[in-house]
Amino acid sequence: MARTISVEVVYRGIFQKTLAKNICRGIVLAARKEGKIGIAFGRYGDSPERNGIPAKNFAIVAPDEETLQLSMAQYEPAESDITIAVDDTLCKGVESWAWYGLQPINEKIREGGTLVVTSTLPAGEIVKFCHTKAHPYRLAVIPGIPSFSGLWVYKDDHTDVRILGALPKVCPDLVSLDAMLAAIKDEWKSDLKVTSARRSYEQTTTRTVGPGEGNPEVPYKFDLPGWTRMREGVTIEGMKLGEPIQFGGQVGGYRPQRNPYFKKYTTRTMRPVIDFDKCIKCTLCWLQCPDSCFDVMPDQTYDLNAEACCGCGVCEAVCPVDGCITMVNESAFTDNKSQWEMWKTNKDAYRQWVAEKIGCRPERSHGFRYKGQYEEQVASMGAASGGGQGGGE
Amino acid sequence: MDSPELATMPLPVLEPIKGVKKAPLEEYFTSGHRTCQGCESALVMKLMIKAAGPRTVVLGSTGCMYVANTTYYSTPWVVPWMHTQLGSSGSAAVGTAAGYRALMRKGKIKKEPINVISFCGDIGGADMGLSAISAALQHVDYNHLILLYDNESAANTDIQATGSTPYGAVTTFSPTGPAKRIFHTRWKKNTAAMLAAGHPECRYVATVCASYAVDFMNRVRRALTIGGPTFIHSFDPCPKGWDYDPMLSHELGELAVLTGIWPLFEVEDHTLRLYGKSKAIAEGRQKRLPVRDYLLKQGRFAHFTEDDIDYFQAKIDDMWTQWLIPGVLPFAAEVLNDTPPA
Amino acid sequence: MDAETATAVTVAAAEQEALISGSEAVAVASRLADVDVITAYPIRPYDTMMQYVAKQIANGEQDAEYIVAESEHSQFEIAKHASAVGARALCGSSGVGWCYAFEAIAVTPALRLPLLAMVGNRALDDPGAFGTEHNDALAARDLGWMHVWVDTAQEALDVTLIAYRVAEDRRVFLPCAISTDGAFLTHSQALVKIPPRAWVDEFLPRYDRGDLRFHPDNPITIAPQVNEDWLMEIRRQTDQAMRNARGVLEEAYRDFRRIFNRDYGNPFFEEYYTDDAEIVLVGMGTLSMPVKVVIRKLRAEGQRVGFVRVRWFRPFDYERLGGLLSRFQAVGVVDRDFSMGSPYNSGVLANEIRATLYGQPKQPPVVSFITGLGGREVTIPNVREMFEHTRKAAETGASPRDTLWIGVRA
Repeated sequence: MARTISVEVVYRGIFQKTLAKNICRGIVLAARKEGKIGIAFGRYGDSPERNGIPAKNFAIVAPDEETLQLSMAQYEPAESDITIAVDDTLCKGVESWAWYGLQPINEKIREGGTLVVTSTLPAGEIVKFCHTKAHPYRLAVIPGIPSFSGLWVYKDDHTDVRILGALPKVCPDLVSLDAMLAAIKDEWKSDLKVTSARRSYEQTTTRTVGPGEGNPEVPYKFDLPGWTRMREGVTIEGMKLGEPIQFGGQVGGYRPQRNPYFKKYTTRTMRPVIDFDKCIKCTLCWLQCPDSCFDVMPDQTYDLNAEACCGCGVCEAVCPVDGCITMVNESAFTDNKSQWEMWKTNKDAYRQWVAEKIGCRPERSHGFRYKGQYEEQVASMGAASGGGQGGGE
Repeated sequence: MDSPELATMPLPVLEPIKGVKKAPLEEYFTSGHRTCQGCESALVMKLMIKAAGPRTVVLGSTGCMYVANTTYYSTPWVVPWMHTQLGSSGSAAVGTAAGYRALMRKGKIKKEPINVISFCGDIGGADMGLSAISAALQHVDYNHLILLYDNESAANTDIQATGSTPYGAVTTFSPTGPAKRIFHTRWKKNTAAMLAAGHPECRYVATVCASYAVDFMNRVRRALTIGGPTFIHSFDPCPKGWDYDPMLSHELGELAVLTGIWPLFEVEDHTLRLYGKSKAIAEGRQKRLPVRDYLLKQGRFAHFTEDDIDYFQAKIDDMWTQWLIPGVLPFAAEVLNDTPPA
Repeated sequence: MDAETATAVTVAAAEQEALISGSEAVAVASRLADVDVITAYPIRPYDTMMQYVAKQIANGEQDAEYIVAESEHSQFEIAKHASAVGARALCGSSGVGWCYAFEAIAVTPALRLPLLAMVGNRALDDPGAFGTEHNDALAARDLGWMHVWVDTAQEALDVTLIAYRVAEDRRVFLPCAISTDGAFLTHSQALVKIPPRAWVDEFLPRYDRGDLRFHPDNPITIAPQVNEDWLMEIRRQTDQAMRNARGVLEEAYRDFRRIFNRDYGNPFFEEYYTDDAEIVLVGMGTLSMPVKVVIRKLRAEGQRVGFVRVRWFRPFDYERLGGLLSRFQAVGVVDRDFSMGSPYNSGVLANEIRATLYGQPKQPPVVSFITGLGGREVTIPNVREMFEHTRKAAETGASPRDTLWIGVRA
């Protein structure tokens, strides 16, 4: 029976903008092949997407105009049949704007709906990141490295069509495989991409996520004040100054106050791991961090505030000591605890932790790869079809 | 009617910072902003106010550092901060400084040094706001600093070309295509030198790059302590608009200087000084790196052919070999050799 | 302060009389109000005010930062930011100059900055023209600026003081535009009573921006970018400030009467021979001069005619004005402006009056006139003609379906 189907695509800012747009276009064009109509749109406020910061696109498909209007939304549909996370670290939740709070990746998924994730992690690992829901939903994993396809140069690793190919499998009501493949052929004029989509359809598996399964943490959120309570003159209180840090007997250093309304850590795909034994206290990670996310510790080393860090990697780039700061895939972590306190409390345990994190797979970057690297990586994954046309890299 | 004592506003004491380990611990621009991963302009804000200190007010004209910084009823600012219109960084500085001056002179508020810093992006500074900044640099009675953070596009709006966008760069207003490989054919404005040359009463103009944090902070301190209106032009790599790995923001800033694309100089009381690596380049102690090392790391130049790179290199070579003052004043050397008729 | 001391002050210092223009009257008021920052840019006719201020400063009679901006946009932005730090600020413009400043004009109300701007009303280009037209100031009518139209040099001086008092009241904190008809008021000199500074000091407290002050001692962030989650609330706050202005205006005029012994009656509009009038004309600004002359002639001929001059256009006193106008048999509205393609093709004021009457139990016919554009003189015959049309409407009980252009060559 024909009904309206809402698809939400959650992506990471400007370098996945084209990818998200391709996915939503593909959905609407494929539905058209079956005589349905649909719209594809981005959340207006997200544009221009800051790189890394979670943003959203939507595709809504319906049998006819009037049914479509029932589910029309100017910003976001109330719920989704399919939510697509084009980067598995988004499963930890997204904070797109100040005051939005932390939105679980599965927040909009209706009962029986599906969360589609591109990842090299097993489904069981991904479920651990996702916040618990009261009703059951399904999780589909499309094996593949999260694709940061770039802006001016679209580094085509077929992630767009591999996601599209999986959709008829996870939600036959949306569109048939044939229609999807026909649309892909029309849009991209590429048999290779059609093959990628078909392979993805065959290989995508889903599992059910039961009520209460996943991350039990209660996401933080805020209540917006009304006009009678808001300060006049479009003014708000400034931030307060920071303070020295107390740890055990030690007092010293400096910890800036950090904004409670926008923490920014859901922007992160990699996290700096600090080997404090190697730190020469050169100050560069702290001084060069655009997000002021390093605290100056009483012993003049620099600890990461993992709630403020968006994972740009500048600290690793400027650190003069080899292996002192290493960017590690965010999926290797389950909390935002202080690394310095871990180190202070038990140095041996910490060294072991550092070695384990640094050695951890999957390897991760911001998606900017040397020429041909995509092709190698995609080819090395059985799930993938034979690489891409390399964009203009 | 002003007595000289009343007419001159007190100036702050801000000693030069001697090395990274002497940088103040306090952050007056902290987390809570929504800038991109690896945003160099956010670092510029942080270093600018770290150097200026707590007795400072900051005015920000529309652009990334407005929309992304104080966005959506949230703020990263510890010191007072106020929005001003896109073309108003100059006027905002003058109005704020004039207000303090009047109130202090009339004894309506305590007479004390207050740093007034007004920043703008490249549209706000090099294009739309240029006229107001020029006027602001003439009002020598008012102490303030106008800081232009230049990420070479309207990066906040959707990455459109501006007068500060380098030759050939791809933006949403200058895409590349089969009919037009090079869409943006304008050469980047020489804003800092233009303002320095055009406003002889302005006591301090400098170019900076946040990749050299201590040099950066000390130029801000010089601008705030010398008196009168001052101008600083900061070169800010932008991972979003330039399409590169955020991790490279710091390195690209260094490369812009080392390739000679972004000369570091200051003009203080009519005396021009190249400084840092740019000084070394001018004195031949540092070899300029080829511009390709800089260009090819960025998606916005991915469409460049070898000829395009050569052209870009030739223009930079001219800056350093043909200009009257290398890297600063683009007049032909013939001007010097001109001999009047006998 | 109580009435006794007020009288004492009155006795203590007498007013001085001077022959000055409407522009100069505003300049004198800025001296009396000890304005801190004044920003100028040349454009006729308002610039005569800035010329006079400059002379007062050069003569050592006035103490203010006087900044000649490089454009009207900068002129208004500089004044805006001076106001934000707690300085009393004044600027102004005319015609297309006002339009050039429009971005700054648009952003000021939400920031709640009590800036004063004198508008020497002038026709908008093209073609360039010096004469008066109200479309320049009216372009900003919906944005949260208070707007007042004055009639005489004396009123220009008095209203400037009143406007600062109201604008700087914490319940209001809104900018105010003082409109003066180009040439007729800006350039004609009249005898004006200049009050002693002591009275002004008593009437006008110091501008205290309180917790909105932009100063290192008050660490706030002003005007961060907001999204759809916030802007409606901010608009509603500005709306409330404008609502509050009505009551604050009443208070200010009451105090003004007490301290300066000048009574403007209803602050919002002036009534002339309305008590027993059957028909009235409604208008703004210096138009009142020829209209009052004609009214006296017509009354001599036994016609019960009157005039209502709207002073405060924003906030608009629709309650009392509506109640008053609904009493008459017909109302003629004289616009020195136009609103092309608007209902009845009339001017701005006419449609404000129609909307005002809509809420009334009894609605007399409204006849809308457009006249005196580009500074063209509104003559005695013009005014007679408008009264005749209004009279006809009263007799037939029906409004003409279209606006009448008076004094235009066919």
